Amino acid sequence: MLAVHGDDELAHRLVSAGLWPGTRVVRLTAAPFGDPLLFLVHGYRLALRRSEAARVAVALPTASGAKA
Amino acid sequence: MNALAKPLAVARKVALVGRANAGKTSLLMHLTGSLQRPANFPGTSVECITSETVAGNTRLCILDLPGIASLQAISRDEQVAIDCMGGGGDATQRPDLLCVVLDASKLVVELRLLQEVRNLGRPLVVALTKVDVANQEGLPVDVERLQRALGLPLAVVNGASGAGIDALRDLLATAPLLPPPFAAPVSLPEPPTHKRRTRTDRLDAFLLHPLLGPLVLAGVLVAMFQLVFTVAEPFLGWLEAGQGWVEGLVAAVVPDGMLQSFLIDGVVNGVGSALIFVPQIALLIAFVSAVEASGYMARAVFLLDRLLRKVGLSGKSFVPLTSSFACAIPGILGARILENERDRLATILVAPLMSCSARLPVYVVMLAAFFPAHQAGLLLLLLYLLGIVTAAVVALVLRKTVLRGGTSMLAMELPVYQRPRLRLVGAHTFVAVKSFLRAAGGVIFAATIVVWALAYFPRPDAIAERFAAERDQVQAGEAGDAARAAIDAREAGTYLEQSWLADIGRTVQPVFAPAGFDWKLTVGVLAAFPARELVVPTLGTLYSLGEVEASADEADSRLRDALRDQRGPDGKPVLNSVVALALMAFFALCSQCAGTLAAIRRETHSWKWPVFTFVYMTTLAWLAAVLINQVGTWLGFAG
Repeated sequence: MLAVHGDDELAHRLVSAGLWPGTRVVRLTAAPFGDPLLFLVHGYRLALRRSEAARVAVALPTASGAKA
Repeated sequence: MNALAKPLAVARKVALVGRANAGKTSLLMHLTGSLQRPANFPGTSVECITSETVAGNTRLCILDLPGIASLQAISRDEQVAIDCMGGGGDATQRPDLLCVVLDASKLVVELRLLQEVRNLGRPLVVALTKVDVANQEGLPVDVERLQRALGLPLAVVNGASGAGIDALRDLLATAPLLPPPFAAPVSLPEPPTHKRRTRTDRLDAFLLHPLLGPLVLAGVLVAMFQLVFTVAEPFLGWLEAGQGWVEGLVAAVVPDGMLQSFLIDGVVNGVGSALIFVPQIALLIAFVSAVEASGYMARAVFLLDRLLRKVGLSGKSFVPLTSSFACAIPGILGARILENERDRLATILVAPLMSCSARLPVYVVMLAAFFPAHQAGLLLLLLYLLGIVTAAVVALVLRKTVLRGGTSMLAMELPVYQRPRLRLVGAHTFVAVKSFLRAAGGVIFAATIVVWALAYFPRPDAIAERFAAERDQVQAGEAGDAARAAIDAREAGTYLEQSWLADIGRTVQPVFAPAGFDWKLTVGVLAAFPARELVVPTLGTLYSLGEVEASADEADSRLRDALRDQRGPDGKPVLNSVVALALMAFFALCSQCAGTLAAIRRETHSWKWPVFTFVYMTTLAWLAAVLINQVGTWLGFAG
């Protein structure tokens, strides 16, 4: 992942949840109707709403996995 | 020499710091053997748990701070925890030592929090938990290397089994109270992103499945209701029997008269009214904390977040709202887990709309009196749905008007599944029951006393004389007992009819006339202010039936018949199925519960919100009752 956008409570929460530049993020699954989403971050499972996940800029390493 | 008699040389105040899921509370439990008491932080309603223990000749007073994710607070609880660590200006309140509890299964993230806490410059020790979970998840920890890199006193403990707890206790007692040495942030190799499938992954494939997941969740909810309503039943019976026994004792010792009535109908009844909620609350909290400890609660929140967000709440509202089906009070206290103040307020304000267990006796009596069994079940379901749908609409309206805005957040960890520990669940339950009694017990008791006084006075002598004369005419001996009991019941009914409460009821009755309530039902509604279920015994007294009780699955048949047989001056029945439905809808939506209002006052620090809740719920309840009565009568169902 590249960066968390913004400088509000949500951004702080995302950073303290382990989303800082260089972290690898893997999307595991989604709740019914596609929201929220479940990610693997630093080996633990982090649930994020789509709107929250949208704040996280990522670069795709391969075709599979992360989502912006 | 007796070791216990030796004065303890030193006392240390230790605060447990860490994330909500790091296992602080189970450490406290193992360290001190119990969770002694919930205590409020000075000047806040945020509760923490403290407990004491002794290690060597040091007395340790250990404080379980609310979980924090970083030193930038988002929720109120986090702010309190952060203020407490820094001392919040008051040096005497400041802990001597911080014990940072780190979850080994997410060590990379935890070390960042540790670094932040370390920068506070307070004396520090580290407790590393869940090393076994980390191994299970394929993230082994090299403890020795970690300790060297950190340069801090460190103990590895297992929060589940308690292994390593003695070493931690000694560490807490002996660690030097010095600021931590400066150290660069420790960097760990990033965990592999493609690890092998663990037990949690396999369970999640099933429990978070788009189809199976919601089905399992529904099953868990049904199990919870079964537990709360059927398992609690014998306990409620024992409580009632106990209350009856105490009443009998008082009646035997204290002569007839005002003192006896005050003790039985005021004091004993008041204590009973508060205690009657305890079995269901205890069972519910035990269930919720077991589900929470297992890791499933976070999955339920995950599955329901989208649905609850549609009505302006958050997935995290699920836990407090579910608790509210047993009793709104633990639900209101439980809304603290919501970080966003507006989400929290919206959840608190709609929690009392969930049909709590105190409404059930009202429904049972009315359904049994006016509806055949096959309709009663369906109507009961509809009454629960009425509460849920109204809650959804109210929440949506609140979030679009007075509670607009605010960043609602989910961003939560779904922890690794674990077997819940019985001792911890028990301790949580104990603490929650204590909090309930503190938040609501006194208010329910006081309200019961006030309603007792209104229903007891002024008690004109003329009534006593009239019934004394009647009693004299009844023949002595066993043959007259039934007649005397009937006279006693009528006397009680007459006193109540001439009481201040009845005067108020008759004055207020025109307001309820469009709903079809006569003055007796109106008095019942007023008498139910301390707690809803009080309407049943009040109607019993008004209809001169003597003692009336209605349990969750059996209505008192005498009250049922009396309700059906009530006739107005014109000889037509006062009560019919339409009025009964109106009354039930009223009770489904009204906020006749002093304890709930007190809990809202306590949690929102203002009178504004309890008053708001009372006004909006009573208005909705009245509207629903009037609507049902008017439409029902117009359609010709009355009669």
